[in-house]
Amino acid sequence: MSAAALIARHDWRRLAVQPFAWALAAVVVALMAWQYLLALETFLQLAPKLGGLKDAPGVTDLVVIPLLRSFSNLLILLVPLITMRTIAGERRTQSLSLLLAAGVGNTRIAVGKYFGALGFVLLILVLVLTMPLALEFGTSLDLGRLAAAALGLALFAGALTAIGVLCSAWTSQPALAAASAFAITSLLAMIDAGARVQGVDNAGINYLALPTHVEPFFRGIVASVDIVYFLLIIVVALAFTARRLDRLRGTPD
Amino acid sequence: MTPDPIAVLALDKVSRVLAGRLVVSDLDLTLARGEVLGLLGVNGAGKSTTLRMIAGVLAPSTGTVRIDGANLCEQPELARRRIGYLPEIPPLHPELNVAEYLDFCARLHGLAGTAALAATVQAIERCDLGEVRRRLIGSLSKGFRQRVGLAQAILHDPELIVLDEPASGLDPVQALRLREIVRGLGADHAVVVSTHVLPDVLACCDRVAILHEGELRHQGALAALAGGALRVRVAMRVDASDWLRLPIVLGAEPIDTNASDAHRWRLRLREGVAIATLAAAIVERGFGLEELRAENSALEEIFMKIAAGETPAVAA
Repeated sequence: MSAAALIARHDWRRLAVQPFAWALAAVVVALMAWQYLLALETFLQLAPKLGGLKDAPGVTDLVVIPLLRSFSNLLILLVPLITMRTIAGERRTQSLSLLLAAGVGNTRIAVGKYFGALGFVLLILVLVLTMPLALEFGTSLDLGRLAAAALGLALFAGALTAIGVLCSAWTSQPALAAASAFAITSLLAMIDAGARVQGVDNAGINYLALPTHVEPFFRGIVASVDIVYFLLIIVVALAFTARRLDRLRGTPD
Repeated sequence: MTPDPIAVLALDKVSRVLAGRLVVSDLDLTLARGEVLGLLGVNGAGKSTTLRMIAGVLAPSTGTVRIDGANLCEQPELARRRIGYLPEIPPLHPELNVAEYLDFCARLHGLAGTAALAATVQAIERCDLGEVRRRLIGSLSKGFRQRVGLAQAILHDPELIVLDEPASGLDPVQALRLREIVRGLGADHAVVVSTHVLPDVLACCDRVAILHEGELRHQGALAALAGGALRVRVAMRVDASDWLRLPIVLGAEPIDTNASDAHRWRLRLREGVAIATLAAAIVERGFGLEELRAENSALEEIFMKIAAGETPAVAA
């Protein structure tokens, strides 16, 4: 097993034995389940009226996609709480020296830490996805659109996790790491809000914003430009994380 | 300096600047397999920074750290199998149990499958961790945690073992057990131990290097420092002539200048005489042997002089 995979598996195991991570997952799933039931109830009330409309929106439009869009907003808060201790926690307890002294390259450490945290985030995503998927037993879902939304959410979660790991490498205070990751992702989520108010929706600033690239997935559009955007964030954030680890070898913990 | 061809570890003019301050300056050190080097110094002398550079956690600002002749900065993967490092605060994961944690460490150091399992079992045995192997590390006492830290440093059987204040915070029994383990490791590994406790150095090291303000102020073999002198305490009041009547004793002087209590003596034995022979002679004469140990005043004296800044740096 490669060192990165070993670190990822080990970090996943460490997260899995902590009550904090499971409590966080439970709260998120409970919140999403509550929203899901409310949306379903509303849909059932509207269903008789929708039947008479031409091209009426279905359960995918009115229940599934709003639920997943709401989950994407929750991820902005959730991911920093999961990633905050990946490196900052190790620096705080001075256990990072175990990895640094083991001759594992900084890039491998960054990648291992990233996939360890991402594994847990994706587990929560899978739990949330089981809710809309359960509707398939009673109705007909637009599975293609659901798959596109799931892919978009996975990429979105991947980008947020990479930013979270980077922030965790930047400080030895996990709370500060969470706050800075939340601030950066919130900024990326709202960076083009002003431009949109002015009616600008195709400028460079729109390209930088996270919603510009996650929304097409919710509409069922899988575009390479959006995939590249998320992959670029992941690669750049992990490169900076490795660079930061390199610098840590030159400063005291 | 040309690296010693048989040295496991060679530091060549190593310096490190941290936050604009020169923490270690032009340090030259070598260490061979089967040697235990004690790195002494007061707090802030540069011991931990030196050990972090030796372990590959910190890169030197200038100079090179060589493991078996290879530059550690250019080949950091050398550290994976060849170096075992126990920092001052053991790098533990309190949410895991001892066996899980050591298994991860074994794999991190490049062992796999049954080799990782065998190394974990051996390290648990060597560090007496059998009774706590399934306990969470976070629930262990300080002594056990220190031993878990030591176990992770030795489980991949590295050529070089680097221990930063391993006995820090341990009770006397735990410290004694740790000394025995370190002494045992020194038989077939190169070991560097940092401490500011002189008895630890005397008990388990072959050589000593003393740092002060980042500079190497003294290095040499402990045997040369001890000079064969012994410290004895007896129940009976004796004088120097009583000691000199023993044919094995070359010289005797009281340690207490106040002659009213002449029970503690510094003795020098004739060459080749074993300490056990002296012990037997004291018992035979009925002096009432209460204490007998190797004299360490020379090391103490050197250390105190260096700590007071009276000794210049050792020339490279």
